[in-house]
Amino acid sequence: MMNEWKEIANTMENTYLRKWKESGRAAVGYPCTYVPDEVIYAADILPYRLRGTGTTSSSIGDTYFGPVICSFPKCVLQLAGEGRFNFLDGTIIVPGCDSMRRLDECWRKAADDYKGILPGFFHYFGVPHKVTDYSLMWFYEETLKLKEKLEKHFGVTITDKALKVAISVYNESRKLLMQLDKLRVKDKPVINGEDALSIILASTAIPRDEFNKMLRKTLSQLEIKKETIKGKKRLMLVGSINDDPEFMKVIEDCGAVIVTDTMCFGSRSYSDLTEEEGDPLFALAKRYLNHAYCPRMFGYYKPRLKNIMDRAKKAKVDGIILQNIRFCDLHGSENGIFERDLEKEGIPCMRMEREYGPLTESGRVKMRIDAFLERIS
Amino acid sequence: MRKETKEYNFDWNMWTILENASKTADGFRKEYETLLNYIPNYRNVLDAFVRHGEPGILFLKIIAKYSNDCVRAHIEGRKTAGVTFCFATPVLYAFNIQPVTLEPWSVLGTVVLKRGTSEFLDYCSELGFTETSCSSQRGSLGAYLCDLATKLDFVVYDSPGICDTNANSFAFAASYLDIPFYQLNYPSTLTDERAKEYHHADFKGLISFLEEQTGRKPDMEKLREIMKENKRQDELTCELLDLQRLKPSPMPPIYELMLYGGRFMMNGTKEYTQLLESMVAHTRKKAEAGKAGTTSGNERARGLFCYIDHYTTDGRLWDFLDKRDISHMGSILFNFWQKDSLYAAGKEDEGYNLEDESLEAIIDSLADQMSRMPMVKQIRGPYDAPGMWLDDTLGAINIMKPDFVVYMGTMGCRNTWGMVKPFVRDLEKHGIPTLYIYADSFDDRVQSWEAVADKLEEFLKIRKIIT
Ligand code: SF4
Ligand code: SF4
Repeated sequence: MMNEWKEIANTMENTYLRKWKESGRAAVGYPCTYVPDEVIYAADILPYRLRGTGTTSSSIGDTYFGPVICSFPKCVLQLAGEGRFNFLDGTIIVPGCDSMRRLDECWRKAADDYKGILPGFFHYFGVPHKVTDYSLMWFYEETLKLKEKLEKHFGVTITDKALKVAISVYNESRKLLMQLDKLRVKDKPVINGEDALSIILASTAIPRDEFNKMLRKTLSQLEIKKETIKGKKRLMLVGSINDDPEFMKVIEDCGAVIVTDTMCFGSRSYSDLTEEEGDPLFALAKRYLNHAYCPRMFGYYKPRLKNIMDRAKKAKVDGIILQNIRFCDLHGSENGIFERDLEKEGIPCMRMEREYGPLTESGRVKMRIDAFLERIS
Repeated sequence: MRKETKEYNFDWNMWTILENASKTADGFRKEYETLLNYIPNYRNVLDAFVRHGEPGILFLKIIAKYSNDCVRAHIEGRKTAGVTFCFATPVLYAFNIQPVTLEPWSVLGTVVLKRGTSEFLDYCSELGFTETSCSSQRGSLGAYLCDLATKLDFVVYDSPGICDTNANSFAFAASYLDIPFYQLNYPSTLTDERAKEYHHADFKGLISFLEEQTGRKPDMEKLREIMKENKRQDELTCELLDLQRLKPSPMPPIYELMLYGGRFMMNGTKEYTQLLESMVAHTRKKAEAGKAGTTSGNERARGLFCYIDHYTTDGRLWDFLDKRDISHMGSILFNFWQKDSLYAAGKEDEGYNLEDESLEAIIDSLADQMSRMPMVKQIRGPYDAPGMWLDDTLGAINIMKPDFVVYMGTMGCRNTWGMVKPFVRDLEKHGIPTLYIYADSFDDRVQSWEAVADKLEEFLKIRKIIT
């Protein structure tokens, strides 16, 4: 079963996606955990989270983006420019951070030079940077606008009933992923971080109901699994985006196991449920604006620190890796204060700046991890 | 950080330098000339201000007054707020709060100190703040973080939604120093009713925050006075811009720095009005004589700086322009978008108007002003959306008729570096030679000023702008 997860995680156009498309249905890409996938799903469209895996060059990314930009959106643009997202019928752009929001212009401008790479549906989804009654209202209206635009463009009607079904499918999915979490944080974990990430990645690339079915099966297998992970240092991963299981592998191969995280391709995507009562669209807006904050939400340092501490405690971690992609100032800077405050609490931390993309620097990462493991042994 | 650097408080040290600098022109010529020998690091820039006569000297006095106000705030019983340059300060004055604006402090340090602000820039990184963050805040923030400057009582910033790196500096400062903060957060649109309501609601939240921090209500009389002054300043600015667009442009290149520098430090104060009046009078005289504002009185080219200027040690950018008879046709930093300004003609909905009929009107119009501050207006949405960066730059090109456009920024500027290449391409498509320079306006170590000057020179030559 693990092989199937890995295959989905490591291929852009997985078999589920292909089948979905063959059945004449659409797929819409989105870049960030602030997009309520349920709205897309309720339109019978496949929500597909944009990734930059498999890039071998950054020639297109570098042509439109400037030099001092996080390599994640550059890799996404690279793949877009190469036509590797042409299976998408739409894309949603989110001002997750400044680099991500400029994907809007860069993708559009690249489309002047690379014909056919701009999906027919290209939508900017404005997410506030704070949580107040009026920002929630704004976000609710954005969600409503997204719904209406999807309906208009794809000629569908997104009913409240369909939204409620979507909410319950996604909630179930999150509960299953929380169950997976429990298996990761056990004294003797039955699954490592690399494999867990593959599962999480799959949740963003295949239809959720299918995902739930598969995960239920995997969980039942894992629950009776005899073979456990022993004698490894228990680590937590925090910081910039990571959608690369190989990165986890490099860390774990040094003699560690990543038992928990606060990553966006990670616990932040499933640790909060959507209310199933009341206006479904409003419930979604509430859940997505309030879900475990990432540093793009300014001024929420303390809740983020608490989230890390709670998870670290529950998972009994030996240390935390605070990593950021170069030019990711949001995660990078906050990692600096996390280090200060977590070390004060006696939790060993390691800060690491890295590149995203083809893992050219695995040697350096390995060396840093080795040194950290030595420190905490 | 070197031990010597820790000997003096950064802001106190700067204040003594600036206070003395502002008095140099009060003495005899000979005294002044002798004194210049003792300040090798900023003698040229000081001399440039003094050479410009009354406006230059008034500007020096504004800097001195501002730094004095910051340093003495607590002694005088005023709270201090860490703010960013694009924060409209009248609302703070209404609560008797001293704005400590990081970017002007960074500029002052960069221009005046021998090593610029490099040690404070690096100190931030020592604390974990990324070295790739924007140097415009980092340059002085280091001093505030290492307790080498007046303590900040709280932080208020209006960059979330506009510029991450900027907002992140203030978020970092608030978390690191564990002090209260308030953020004004902007949506990506500007003129629609939704955006307006959001701006107003958010601004009301700011008022409540300031009330909480100071334990007082806004002084409405004072606010009205500041707004009146602000209105007058807006009128004078419009007059100046009208003069600046003439051919040759009668406005000296360094006035541009004085325009926005004065506004960032002393917006709404009598001192700034006086500076503007003086600048208008001097520029008008040049215009009447048909002379350019450059020292030679000639204009060989007109340059628009579509983002910010370069604040290298000793302020050599302005000297570079002046020596080559290049008129400075403005930067994004002086686009304040009052409704009556030249560039707002036909785009009135993008501008603001200060109203003082009722409390509600005052507060809403201050919110409108804040939402139109430089950068806050233009880089909130896609650069090619209506009313955003490209539109405003093309508008400025249309009015100011520059021969070339230059982009200079900071290495931390994800926002503009994220799209400056297509932006430049679009400007070129409109037929305007445009150069983007890979350098940092606040940190000469990224690219030395000499290298920047070479790049500019080469561009002017190759594009046959100056032959
Ligand atoms: S890793 Fe950081 S800079 Fe990169 S896309 Fe994510 S938030 Fe933005
Ligand atoms: S220069 Fe760029 S990074 Fe710095 S404050 Fe301005 S927009 Fe932000």
